[in-house]
Amino acid sequence: MLTVILQQGINGIVVGSLYVLVALGLTLIYGVLVQINFAHADIVTIGAFVAYFVTHWLSGNYLLGIAAALVVGSALGWLINAAVFAPLRDRGNELLPLIATIGVSIMLQNAMLVLLGPIPYAFSTPYSNQVIHFGGAFLTVQNALIIIVSVLTIALLYAFMKFTFLGKALRAVSQDRETAGLMGINQNHVIMLTFVIASALAGMGGAMLGPVLVLTPFAGTSVIVKAFAIVIIGGFGNVEGTIIAGLIVGLIESYTTQFLDPGWIDIVVFALLLLTLAVRPTGLIAERREENV
Amino acid sequence: MSDSAATQSSSSAPAASLLTSRRLWLVVAAIVIGLLPAIFTDSYWRTNLIVCAINVLLAIGLDFVLGYAGQLNLGQSAFYGIGAYASTLLITKLGIPFWIAFAAGVLIAGIAGVFLSMFAVRLRGHYLAIASLGFAVITYQVLLNWISLTQGPLGIYGIAPPPPLAVPGLPPVEFSNLANLFYLTAAFAFLVYLLLDQLVRSPIGETLTAIREDEVSAASLGVNGQKWKVFAFAVSSAIGGAAGCFYASFVGTLVPDAFFMTESFSILAMVIVGGMGTLIGPVLGAILLTVLPELLRGIGDLRLIVYGISVTLVVLFMPGGLVQAARLIAGRLRRPAKMESRS
Amino acid sequence: MTGGGEILLHAEGLHKSFGGVQAVRDISLAIPAGTVFAVIGPNGAGKSTLLNLLSGIYQPDAGRLTFAGVDVVGMTSHRRVRHGIARTFQKIRLFKQLTVLENVLAGFHIRHEIPLWQYVLHGPAFRRDRERCRHEAMDLLAFVGLNQRAHITAGSLSYGEQRMLEIARALAAAPRLLMIDEPAAGLNAAEVNALLERIVALRARGITVVMVEHNMDLVMQIADRILVMDYGQYLFEGAPADVQAHPGVIAAYLGAEVR
Repeated sequence: MLTVILQQGINGIVVGSLYVLVALGLTLIYGVLVQINFAHADIVTIGAFVAYFVTHWLSGNYLLGIAAALVVGSALGWLINAAVFAPLRDRGNELLPLIATIGVSIMLQNAMLVLLGPIPYAFSTPYSNQVIHFGGAFLTVQNALIIIVSVLTIALLYAFMKFTFLGKALRAVSQDRETAGLMGINQNHVIMLTFVIASALAGMGGAMLGPVLVLTPFAGTSVIVKAFAIVIIGGFGNVEGTIIAGLIVGLIESYTTQFLDPGWIDIVVFALLLLTLAVRPTGLIAERREENV
Repeated sequence: MSDSAATQSSSSAPAASLLTSRRLWLVVAAIVIGLLPAIFTDSYWRTNLIVCAINVLLAIGLDFVLGYAGQLNLGQSAFYGIGAYASTLLITKLGIPFWIAFAAGVLIAGIAGVFLSMFAVRLRGHYLAIASLGFAVITYQVLLNWISLTQGPLGIYGIAPPPPLAVPGLPPVEFSNLANLFYLTAAFAFLVYLLLDQLVRSPIGETLTAIREDEVSAASLGVNGQKWKVFAFAVSSAIGGAAGCFYASFVGTLVPDAFFMTESFSILAMVIVGGMGTLIGPVLGAILLTVLPELLRGIGDLRLIVYGISVTLVVLFMPGGLVQAARLIAGRLRRPAKMESRS
Repeated sequence: MTGGGEILLHAEGLHKSFGGVQAVRDISLAIPAGTVFAVIGPNGAGKSTLLNLLSGIYQPDAGRLTFAGVDVVGMTSHRRVRHGIARTFQKIRLFKQLTVLENVLAGFHIRHEIPLWQYVLHGPAFRRDRERCRHEAMDLLAFVGLNQRAHITAGSLSYGEQRMLEIARALAAAPRLLMIDEPAAGLNAAEVNALLERIVALRARGITVVMVEHNMDLVMQIADRILVMDYGQYLFEGAPADVQAHPGVIAAYLGAEVR
């Protein structure tokens, strides 16, 4: 029994750290722009497919697949910002960009459906079958890789935000856009950079989720819906909160699968989300920000 | 104050003509609804007509909360599903008469809307959008997994159409007849349209648009934003529930997949393409996006791609949708005429 | 000097801090009905925060606040409007997509006299109410000089006109107390004069005005009493002449601006 709990704990952390990668992108964009990119989901899906095709057809090298997904993801992020968010920025409507990216998402998903079909792709990497045992539990090398890459990425992102000029500029913009502008920070560059980083994370997350998920054109949607729950539970725009909430949701998912039924995962996650909104509307971990009147 | 009196009398004249033209349009719409089943006599197109009427209901319901109150309800698929399943289960499991079950379905969906919006109205619009999307996901999963109640993915079959309507002096109106069923749904959609139209042209419309434009500012005028957002959400979800009741009795089969969250996106597309913040826009959007894919059947499974592209393009280039486009065209046509009359 | 009437707004020991920064410290005031009360002080002195406390956008951390004898601490801003407190905003917050007239009509929110069922079936009471609101709204627009602009969108008004429209919209709620946050900011000399006239006219109608303002000429001309704030604290309170004569005020504020 203890082994089962340990084993599911590991699985939960593996999935959770991938959710963190995806949710961090959403939260970074929200921090800087107070906007939601719904098509983030499809960057995850496209990342997974890019990694699949690079690994299975082109090179056989999974790590190269992850790198390719990262590049494609950031390019898509750049494109979505330039084509949708930038033109809508001066409209001053907080819902229009969200609605427009829902449109982008519907379009991308169904275009993929036409191109790739609805049948799930079997994405196996060379690391899926190598197993590390410890105690009674085990960890595939694939999952170990996921944890290592996620931790490294999050650490790098953290260092970037804390120590580099661009990272500081990004934080400055997310705290007070007007003042940051007065201090000579070019908002447009910072926003662009945020989209590129956020989408690179999503693409990479997709590449690593690919072997775990049922890989169809709709794979990203189930991930993004949980990522939304994570950013609300963690507090929109709050990086630490997002990391903790991501791991919690990963653990909920694996324990629900073990002890209840996989069908209950979304129900439990969203019950937690509604509970968060009822108890602490700005997120369980976030600070309250007063609106400037 | 002679100034303002003058302005007022001059502004009330066009208002009066607008009123009569509005009544005129409503009569025209009623006549068109009456004639449609006579024009489309095959069951394929009559089925589409009913789907149109149901989609019109869903779209104007969503528009009330999105276009007027400025709150994005991505849970319309869930309220649609709740209305459909609640009324059907009340009929099949408890033997409750159709119209009482219908009222109960509407009420349950409305209460679900109140319940959900109370969680999220304290916050920015995005939270409500995500909470309602989450609600759509939960509802779908419950419909899928509560097999003892909903029969899960197997679905519920053999749902009867609404009971015949007894009209004194005439043979009873059978709703197994597609034309009659269309008249029933279309008449209901028409009534809901009139109801919403009355509401948005009352001070309630001013209050909701004030909240949409700037909630802090609205509060400075005494508007309790939370209360009104819950109200708009409840109306929207109750209408979604009503659409669900009609859907169930029309299709005769319920499966959870009909109420997946992508259905919310389709309804959103109808509102956006038609023009949010007007009532006629979503009606046109619903009809266009229901009929257009049927006409384009030849090119395969592109329905949703068309939806996606049109939503994005409309938001970017024509945020008022078809209504804005129509106004622009009307303006273009009128202007040259004026120039001619001047010379 | 019109003072001496009943005290309409009474505050005692108001405190408000944000994340350790004390924006308002121990402010007490008593505003007589039918007067113009101005709050001045350098940028960041806590004037707007004080206004937000009075209008209910923020709640005080400590202190007492009564309006017309009613304890309003803990009362939301929209409830306070029903008691007769209206306001405008430093950063103009009009409904920019709506027309000028629609903006004012929205201001009648708490004053409709329509039976519930007539919202669905528009009857005679509904039409009477609409007619009355329209009429009053046009009067208010005439009062601020915007009746010729009633049917254009608020966003297309000039900056000065937008400020006046915000005042008209706030007046639609028929307040006893009107709070205006930097009404002269961005106005040209002629517009400032028109504003001054309107404020005097409001006082003549018996409306109490609380005004946060940087334009010293305007303040000195129309304020009955002036509260001077610095670093969130009380510095001085008195009639315009006393304020101008007070050495501490001159050092902190006037010396820097009026030269």
